[in-house]
Amino acid sequence: MSTIAVTPERFTLVAYDADRIAEITRGLAERLQLTNPIVIEVDERTPLGKMSASVDSASSDATIRLQLESGALEDTKNLTNFSDTRAHLSLGRLLLRASDRLRDDFADAPPDRDLTNAQNTAWKVYCGGRLERLGLAPIQQQYRYDFRNRFGFRDDVDTLFDRLWASENLGWHDLPG
Amino acid sequence: MRQFFPVDDLARDERFVQTNMAKRMADSRSAVGVKKSAKSRGASNRLTPDRHDASEAARSLMHGIMVGEIQALEGAGRTAHDFAAGDGSGDTIPFELKLDMARQAWDEARHVEISAKLSDWMGTELGQFSENTVLFEAACSNDPVLRLAGVNRALEGLAIDVFTQMKEFGQLAGDPFLEFCEDWMLADEVTHVKMGSDWLRKVTENDPDRRAKALEFQQVVDKLFSFGGARGDSDESPIGLARRFRELAGFTDDEVDTIAEMDHDALEERKAAVRLAQEAAGV
Repeated sequence: MSTIAVTPERFTLVAYDADRIAEITRGLAERLQLTNPIVIEVDERTPLGKMSASVDSASSDATIRLQLESGALEDTKNLTNFSDTRAHLSLGRLLLRASDRLRDDFADAPPDRDLTNAQNTAWKVYCGGRLERLGLAPIQQQYRYDFRNRFGFRDDVDTLFDRLWASENLGWHDLPG
Repeated sequence: MRQFFPVDDLARDERFVQTNMAKRMADSRSAVGVKKSAKSRGASNRLTPDRHDASEAARSLMHGIMVGEIQALEGAGRTAHDFAAGDGSGDTIPFELKLDMARQAWDEARHVEISAKLSDWMGTELGQFSENTVLFEAACSNDPVLRLAGVNRALEGLAIDVFTQMKEFGQLAGDPFLEFCEDWMLADEVTHVKMGSDWLRKVTENDPDRRAKALEFQQVVDKLFSFGGARGDSDESPIGLARRFRELAGFTDDEVDTIAEMDHDALEERKAAVRLAQEAAGV
């Protein structure tokens, strides 16, 4: 079972619970068969929703580091409140990304902060399809719209999206961008 | 049919959760840099497709447009109904003004349908974001002239800014539906503002005090609709001031400059409030 540390331990600007974040992450890690230690850092000073995942090495016991702005875990109907559904999707996407980074065929993937918008979106779509097959409920049309914004509003782009959404076991160089 | 409908009684189904400006401004987080003299993140916050969160931000704004259109429909409909036809003095409004409000309600209903379809196209579920009822609140005045100032000039003026931003977003992203729909709705909004400007002048032609009061009210509403500087000339504001379209709608350069100054003040006030709140919270 993964050890999970969440900072801050106590939130002051948003109504989030570090224990609940850890619990959701633990459940997702088990489903993804990830046993690595996980460190989660939430920036509660901003309502934006940028997030990133990194691993400190490619070894099987590498520490996974997830960084999220508070909007990534937020209930958009009740601002500053936590959304279980959103948290599952955001943390699930980051854990899938970290899990990819532990694979040899993702060794060439740049750090998240250096990804282009197109690379970031393509990887997000690849994660979105897998989240759906894990039993979560990402809204596919959102991912499709994001993908069209980055790659174009054309039929061939939609075909590429469908292929990515349905894929498993891709390597970094299989992703467009 | 009931007149003067309070904001708490607006009809919504269970998908919608409403909020207001007080709750919105109580949020002590900020998307812009709040340190003194620091420009946020060293880059523009303007809502353009090259932002990393472009689609999500556009979805949120599109949903805001949709609920704003619902409230604009409700506001125009109320003004057509709440006041008796007359010569414009007291609580009466000219019959032709009623007709303009009815036409506006028809336009807004079409905008609601368009915005709902655009939201669907962008992957947004109806009610996915909270609905800020500040727009309807500006449409609740007992004086029809204040409604013209608050709704047709301030609210619809904001709509001009927002639609221009979204139209440019669609154009840059290559989204044919977004660009096309926003352009058509923008044309209607320019007409709505023009109607407000014309009627405000006409109804207060012989009552300078009433006109001054209405314009003062418009400034209060304009500052509210800046949403803490979310709209303004500054690159820190996601939504710009659409000066050319405002000019077409009857705003003078001085009026737009005044709005720009209020937007700037609202942004600085918001940053100061967030800075204080975050310092108090020790983050």
